[in-house]
Amino acid sequence: MFATSEKYREFGREGATDWLKRIALSNEFGLFALIVVAVLVFSSLASGFLSNFNLYLLGRIIAVNTMIGFSMMVVLVTGGLNLAVGAIGVCVAMTCGWLIEDIGLPWYIAIALAIVVGAGLGAINGLLVVWSGLHSFIITLATMSIFFGGMIFLTRAESFREMPGVFTDFSRLKFFGSVSAMLIPTCIVAVLLGILYRLTRTGKEMLAAGAQPAAAEQSGLRVKKLFVLCHVLSGAVAGCAGLMLLARNGAAIPAMAGNLGQDWLLIAFLGPVLGGAVLLGGYVSVLGAFLGATLVSVLSNGLLLIQVGEFWVQACLGLMLLLAVVLDKVRRLFVEN
Amino acid sequence: MVCIIATIIISLKSPAFFSALNGQVLLEAISINILIALSQMVIIGVGQMNLSVGAIGGFAAISFAGMMEVWGISAPVAAGLAIAIGVLAGSLNGIFIVWTGVSAFVVTLATLAIFKGLNLAITEAQPFYNIPAEVGAFGNTTFFGPLPWILIPALTIVVCVNFMFNRMPLGRKLLAVGANSHAAKLSGINVSHVIIVAHCISGFLAATAGIALVARLQLGQPTIGDDWLIMSFAAPVIGGAILAGGHVSTVATVFGVIIVALITQGLVLFKVDPYLVQVVLGALILAAVGFNRWKDIQTAKTKPGMHSG
Repeated sequence: MFATSEKYREFGREGATDWLKRIALSNEFGLFALIVVAVLVFSSLASGFLSNFNLYLLGRIIAVNTMIGFSMMVVLVTGGLNLAVGAIGVCVAMTCGWLIEDIGLPWYIAIALAIVVGAGLGAINGLLVVWSGLHSFIITLATMSIFFGGMIFLTRAESFREMPGVFTDFSRLKFFGSVSAMLIPTCIVAVLLGILYRLTRTGKEMLAAGAQPAAAEQSGLRVKKLFVLCHVLSGAVAGCAGLMLLARNGAAIPAMAGNLGQDWLLIAFLGPVLGGAVLLGGYVSVLGAFLGATLVSVLSNGLLLIQVGEFWVQACLGLMLLLAVVLDKVRRLFVEN
Repeated sequence: MVCIIATIIISLKSPAFFSALNGQVLLEAISINILIALSQMVIIGVGQMNLSVGAIGGFAAISFAGMMEVWGISAPVAAGLAIAIGVLAGSLNGIFIVWTGVSAFVVTLATLAIFKGLNLAITEAQPFYNIPAEVGAFGNTTFFGPLPWILIPALTIVVCVNFMFNRMPLGRKLLAVGANSHAAKLSGINVSHVIIVAHCISGFLAATAGIALVARLQLGQPTIGDDWLIMSFAAPVIGGAILAGGHVSTVATVFGVIIVALITQGLVLFKVDPYLVQVVLGALILAAVGFNRWKDIQTAKTKPGMHSG
């Protein structure tokens, strides 16, 4: 699941059987198969798993987890990471709450402005990383503390609970009795990201810059600008995830992503990494990240349904990340032989 | 130097700073934070990072408290076992990193979730309250003036770690691997072995910090370790450690801890909002890395042809 992009490119243009083989060997197919297996197992173990209500809950979890995964994925493209996604997400949700409750703006303007704030915080990350020339790990570790601390200081750690009904109505909306409407923004973002990386010049330049920054710079790409743009995107997407949590909770709560927003970290990495993102940058799979987040959501929801304690689920997710890493190692050994 | 200036400024502004109680509280916090910072520093030395420092520390802490309360094991034995758990947890990190070749970031993020999950699953998020009196006394009394007992193990470990990095082959090997693992391998160092040992040491130090914190709080809290991450990076970085590996300084890290402690304590004494402390800590990291970077560029300018860092 790591460093496989090179191999994929080598396959090039072969016949139909090779093409099928490539699909069967791909991360996305593997993930899809795992999701099917997980769904089958859980639906046989827990009778309520395929009930309309649980599917609706599952949809809501998948929507938020995928969005969180995307916010990390767009930075993984650069070969960096963004530890501050959780902090930015909470900041955006709190900004939105503040704009609605204290300033009295209508909800749609508040949402737009809040996402702009998220993009702005992302821009701060990006500019600091590019200016200092340091790894984004240490920069975003510091800004995570700054953003979250600043937010807590400004809000006095108090929630905004008087949210207009639009938010909760939206989060409770379902189609066909089981599909959560919260999947809509996630799907829109997924399609937009897909278009960005597949069809637009900027997206392709981002991938090139992430794969080989020095080479990209020499071939005339403005690598620094692209990297800042990736961080801006990450901030905006993290903001969307924060707003979706706001809708789910019906309130903007400072603690909704844990201390410093650390609770988002594991989810943010699990989706893209399971989906085959290369931590060295330059490769991205929107579908993979989506499927990865779906698998994580199905597993955590299923484990909770079969009465595995909430805390064990966290340990299971950690184990899963390790397992993914080990499986990838095994697969690479297998391919090499 | 910065420490002395900071101390003078703070004590001038707020006479309460030099009271014995404040000194004791400050030194206790410093002792524990030193252990946390060193635990991360060892890993920074080999050019990696360990996100699970807090999770290992927390897990060791609740094992220590739990063994004493539930199984009635005596404190020294429980401490020994808890440290063994810490070393084991660290070695798991190291083995997985070496075996899979995946970045330490991903592996320790995974083990962070595993150890934290186990911690909460075992304790069900409830603290262990029945900590033996002698353990509490160890964490809360002083042996001379404002010097707390807890300072003794911390200082011993500082001396040992410093000795290891400066005098022992193992310490030099750690730094060699951190500076250039390929070159280290070519010169006959068993890189995998060194990385695993580094993670064992990190686990050991994290566990010690966890145990010390149980003694200080007189409580086996499941939340121990949740807020260690920023601190563990702040002190070594302020002390000039290079995150790419190969260069760490134990003494400078200790000063890093002291600076952070003085500043946070100063902010509290000046009645600055406690929530702002987090902002200041983040800003300190940024300032420190920025300064290190600036220094690098200056050295590179003054010594043409020499590669810095």
